[in-house]
Amino acid sequence: MNRDRAALLLYLIAVLAATLIHDPVWLAAGLGLALLASGRAAAGILRRALLAVLAFNLAISLSYAVMAWLQDFSPWQTLIRLNLRVLLLTVLSFLFIARANLFRALDFSQGLTYVLGLAYSQALIFRRAHEDFRLALDSRSLRRPRLIDRYRASAAATAWFIEKSLHAATQSAQALRSRGFFND
Amino acid sequence: MHIPDGFISPQTYLPAYAVAAGLWAYAARRVKRDLDADTLPFLAAYTALSFVLMMVALPLPGGGTAHAAGIGLLAVSFGGWMGFLAISLVLAMQALLFGDGGITALPINALAMGFTGSFAALAAWKLFGRLNENVALFLAGWISIALPSVLVALVLGIQPLIAQSAQGAPLFFPFGLEITLPAIVLPHLLVGIAEGGLTVLGYRYFARLRAKLAT
Repeated sequence: MNRDRAALLLYLIAVLAATLIHDPVWLAAGLGLALLASGRAAAGILRRALLAVLAFNLAISLSYAVMAWLQDFSPWQTLIRLNLRVLLLTVLSFLFIARANLFRALDFSQGLTYVLGLAYSQALIFRRAHEDFRLALDSRSLRRPRLIDRYRASAAATAWFIEKSLHAATQSAQALRSRGFFND
Repeated sequence: MHIPDGFISPQTYLPAYAVAAGLWAYAARRVKRDLDADTLPFLAAYTALSFVLMMVALPLPGGGTAHAAGIGLLAVSFGGWMGFLAISLVLAMQALLFGDGGITALPINALAMGFTGSFAALAAWKLFGRLNENVALFLAGWISIALPSVLVALVLGIQPLIAQSAQGAPLFFPFGLEITLPAIVLPHLLVGIAEGGLTVLGYRYFARLRAKLAT
């Protein structure tokens, strides 16, 4: 088993454990361990994880606290457990992403590695292009764009992505066929 | 609609993984069989397309935005199984490469959005396609968002019932069906309208582009 596959397995076991443990003390200990394992990247991983879960968890926690206040019960045990678990799972995910190479972990399947690699590289290009489209609309608008302009911008971006993905698929198929990928 | 990590109990996500794994294996075989050597690159390209469609903001009157998913568009353009695989790959990519979404929520999201969304869209497209193509496309897009939102609301809403402490406190998602159903489903009935519009326009554009590429 290669190092990345072992990391994937370890990550999955840690995720399972984090959902089987319900004691906040143990969840906090798990979070501490995960941050220790992150080494120098711990502060960055914790910051990213906190930002990733902040909006959703804040909405859930505040709503639950209001419900508890209205129905007169203590929400703290549930809220501490829930937020610790979510944070632990998110830190584990970011730690796995930082430390392991998913493509090497999945290299037992040529097809899966290939689809994932191609989709990932294409997604990165699309993500950058999406950001460019957003910035282009902002830079061309003196005031906040009207609803109709935003519809037009979204439609133009979608059309561009559709066209690009069709071309990318055709080109990749031709490139792979010419190199004998499908003959193996 | 996309559930993050930490809100779903193992009593839910482990059986969901078992069901999803079976469907992924079957879908992979179907996609390979139905298409030719172009399958892999096309699947990759459409996965990237649905990834970016989930980033495209659909402006809503009043200033808000909703995010497209492209589920209906993918399903009516390339079939239910391809749609299911592409959406599942997007969710896996988001969870394991971008740290968005979650590995425990992955099978639920894939079954709700990828499987149910794709096949509901396909059913609407086939059922109403003979009556009026635009209406069928719109309904395909709308139901591909509306039905998965009901499933996600049900899965989240049953968490306090199936996973609670000895004192009766919820261990995972803390709200019951009386809250999740209206809170999740009602906004998605509106988001579905934008998705329906995207499906009509996207399908027309796709068809024109494919015809142009074929000549």
